[in-house]
Amino acid sequence: MQENYLAKWLNGELSEDELAEFKQSDAYASFIKLKEVSGTLVAPEFDVDKSLMELQNERIGNAPKVITLNPFKKFLRVAAVIVVLLTGSYFFVNSMDQTVTTQLAERSELLLPDSSKIILNADSKVSYSEKKWNEKRNVKLKGEAFFKVAKGKKFTVSTDHGTVSVLGTQFNVENREGFFEVTCYEGLVSVSHKNLDTKLPAGTSFLVLEGEVMEVSKPKGIQPSWINNESNFASIPLSYVFKELERQYDIKVNSKDVDTSLLFTGTFSNTDLNMALKSISTPSRITYKIEGNNVLFYAKNTP
Amino acid sequence: MKNVCEEQLFSSIFKTNSKTVFNYIYYKFGNEEKAHDAVQEAFVKLWENCAKVLPEKAKSYLYTVANNTYLNVIKAEKVRLKYAQPTLEHSNESPEFLLEEKEYKEKLDKALNNLPENQRTTFLLNRIDGKKYAEIAEIEGVGLKAIEKRMHLALKSLREEIDGI
Repeated sequence: MQENYLAKWLNGELSEDELAEFKQSDAYASFIKLKEVSGTLVAPEFDVDKSLMELQNERIGNAPKVITLNPFKKFLRVAAVIVVLLTGSYFFVNSMDQTVTTQLAERSELLLPDSSKIILNADSKVSYSEKKWNEKRNVKLKGEAFFKVAKGKKFTVSTDHGTVSVLGTQFNVENREGFFEVTCYEGLVSVSHKNLDTKLPAGTSFLVLEGEVMEVSKPKGIQPSWINNESNFASIPLSYVFKELERQYDIKVNSKDVDTSLLFTGTFSNTDLNMALKSISTPSRITYKIEGNNVLFYAKNTP
Repeated sequence: MKNVCEEQLFSSIFKTNSKTVFNYIYYKFGNEEKAHDAVQEAFVKLWENCAKVLPEKAKSYLYTVANNTYLNVIKAEKVRLKYAQPTLEHSNESPEFLLEEKEYKEKLDKALNNLPENQRTTFLLNRIDGKKYAEIAEIEGVGLKAIEKRMHLALKSLREEIDGI
């Protein structure tokens, strides 16, 4: 018997031989009966005209006809916009510079693609392009940071005050309002400030205060003091010292009857506020008081 | 280009196909009311999209929409079909024969209800609506061979259940 022979039989498609064989089987009579009775089956009543009336009166009268003139064009328009947006944002995101920012009283370390290292002091920001790093080692800096540069191509730090370029060394750049200091701890650093190039050998500093290049003493140690949680100053006006204090502790410093242009030489701790305040006030012969997040420095003989 | 949006053409499509769409849904789910709604639904959709549907595609479009409308909704419901008509009262047959006929029809109804939905639909479209296998294949959107298979299996299981095998 061929496949699906019952269906063939019902449709009268069996060959004479097959039909004869099927008639021999016990089930034949049952199938004849089934064919006969199932032929008398009926489905429920369905009034075509009534249903059509209902359709026309109740449904189609209210249903708006949708006639789309060219649905594919519309699809293409939407697709094109999406493609443009996607590729655009891809390139935009890709070309964006990497940026690392520290808040007040915060420090951060980052590793550059060539394993050069940057340690960011409080309230500072560096940005660089990760994609173009191999062509151009360029870092933009606001604030203060210590650089340990891996040997390689020219490495440039751009700031508002000038640029610092090196080939591979360790140096610190502090770039604050009215204050620009570069200290070289190892190797040779070239500082370009107002079209004037200065070569800094290891163990020297370059300082610009309010636009004037200052003579500075040789820095101590092999890395900036703030790496060891201390802020070190050598003949720096008190106003800058106060600003650094604000950055390290996220506080507000005010002064009353204090000459903030007085030069301060010394160190304050970046972890113990009371110690830091004493370190500043004692040598300057002033006193202070703390009110919440505010510190007021005032002359000793005024109340 | 001719399309289904012409009222006359639309009405003629309705007249030739609505009954079968109704039966088709009824065989599938065994619910008269839902079958009725499915007809309305399918033709409203056809009307709304009349510009997009070519007349020769209208038929399969209707079955597809009707089927999709209830596919998920009533799959879970237990089918309770009733097809067999009571035999005419005034016939010349003996009471024994009439009783036997009645019993047979009850068994057939029960066996139909127990068939898988696609076998039942195929079987009844052929037996009640007189649809050829090729037409059923078009309605169901499957090949001719699949319909023959369903038909074969339907006959086989119906006979087995009725004969108590």
